[in-house]
Amino acid sequence: MRYWTGAAVALALALLQASSMQQFKVVGATPNLLLVLLVSWLVVRGLDDVLPMIAVAGITIGFVGLQTPGLVLLALLPIVGLGLLREMHVIHSDLLLVLALVAAATVAYESIIVASLVATGGGYDVIAALRSAVIPAALVNVIITPPVYVVMRLAKPSSRHNRLAY
Amino acid sequence: MTPRTLAWTGFIAIAAFVLMAASRLTVLDPVENVTLNVTSPVQSVMRSVTRPVADWVNNITDAGALSAENRKLRDDNERLTNDLARAREDAIQQQSAIDLNTVRQAFPNDVFVAASVVSRDTSSVRSIIAINRGTSDGVHEGQIVVSEGRSLVGTITKAFDSYSWITLITDPKSAVSAIVQESRSEGVVAGNYDASLNMEFVGQGAAVKQGDFVLTSGVGGGYPPNIVIGRVATVAKTEQDLFQRVSVDHLASLSNIEYVLVLTSFVPHKLEKP
Repeated sequence: MRYWTGAAVALALALLQASSMQQFKVVGATPNLLLVLLVSWLVVRGLDDVLPMIAVAGITIGFVGLQTPGLVLLALLPIVGLGLLREMHVIHSDLLLVLALVAAATVAYESIIVASLVATGGGYDVIAALRSAVIPAALVNVIITPPVYVVMRLAKPSSRHNRLAY
Repeated sequence: MTPRTLAWTGFIAIAAFVLMAASRLTVLDPVENVTLNVTSPVQSVMRSVTRPVADWVNNITDAGALSAENRKLRDDNERLTNDLARAREDAIQQQSAIDLNTVRQAFPNDVFVAASVVSRDTSSVRSIIAINRGTSDGVHEGQIVVSEGRSLVGTITKAFDSYSWITLITDPKSAVSAIVQESRSEGVVAGNYDASLNMEFVGQGAAVKQGDFVLTSGVGGGYPPNIVIGRVATVAKTEQDLFQRVSVDHLASLSNIEYVLVLTSFVPHKLEKP
């Protein structure tokens, strides 16, 4: 049942991301609420719970978000690697961990989009891509992470959910 | 990594590559069309619901600027600037004794299809929008798109049955042959990752200055001539560079554009090797 809930949430968020988040452009970057939610979900619930959500969200965004279908799915795939990093418990504060993972996931996500653009003939100035798109996107996503993460923690149906680790 | 995690990861990776390959082969076009048909009303409602919040957030981040009024002023400015540019262009064309009939033959009747923007690209990298007009409305790949004020917006890069994708001129993949109206210097207006425009290949000797109008030149056949792209914002040149660095402010307000016109009467030419 929880997978269906996760899939429904991912589907709704993918539609919200495609329809509305462009309106919130800050410092030239669009907040990627979907990515932030997936990484927050990863930190709160673990890799097994987030994988079906990645599949649903990635496929949905591929069809409604004007990227080549499959490309967003590929761009979300590094979250799996970040999930393995989470298991190593290198960072003990969950909030710091989620902030670091969101920054890393955003850099990976946007870099894959840039790489696909370069591979298909265009946007060869990779330094400009980093400066103008990738880093601002990471900053904006990190800024919106704390409230999303807190909501995820509070929504977690377990005995630990009231303990917010800062 | 558990077997379950491994299985899901494998599924996602394989699905990603299969979908990308299928998309390249246009196998997924009907699916994309149906998906946009089904989800565009939902997206429209979501956009309407979130717009007040977005306006509020943007007003804060824009240091209190009233975005609605700003948008209206930009539209008015775009229209007036376009009229001015077109009047100037007419004067220049007459002075240089160019036979306008020749131009008319290449671009006989302006037939436009009006369309609403229904979706936008979700990444911070690309500048792509979707409109609610497709091949059934006479919209085809390669046709050009202008704003309500008749400034250049972009090109149709993918056309489904009832929807199309427009690659905006600010997209890093976009390149438009252009001319500076006052000095007649030619170059290529290219998009950047920060959704700005640069005019490239403008020679060191070209007399380009801030405020000059930049129009499509028609060179290459991909765009009709004399459509206003924008105005020169800054010009920088150093002794070492082969070309001047010219940045261009686009006239159309592309970040929040809601309605566009597709120039269906223009058929882009593909130049062949001599």
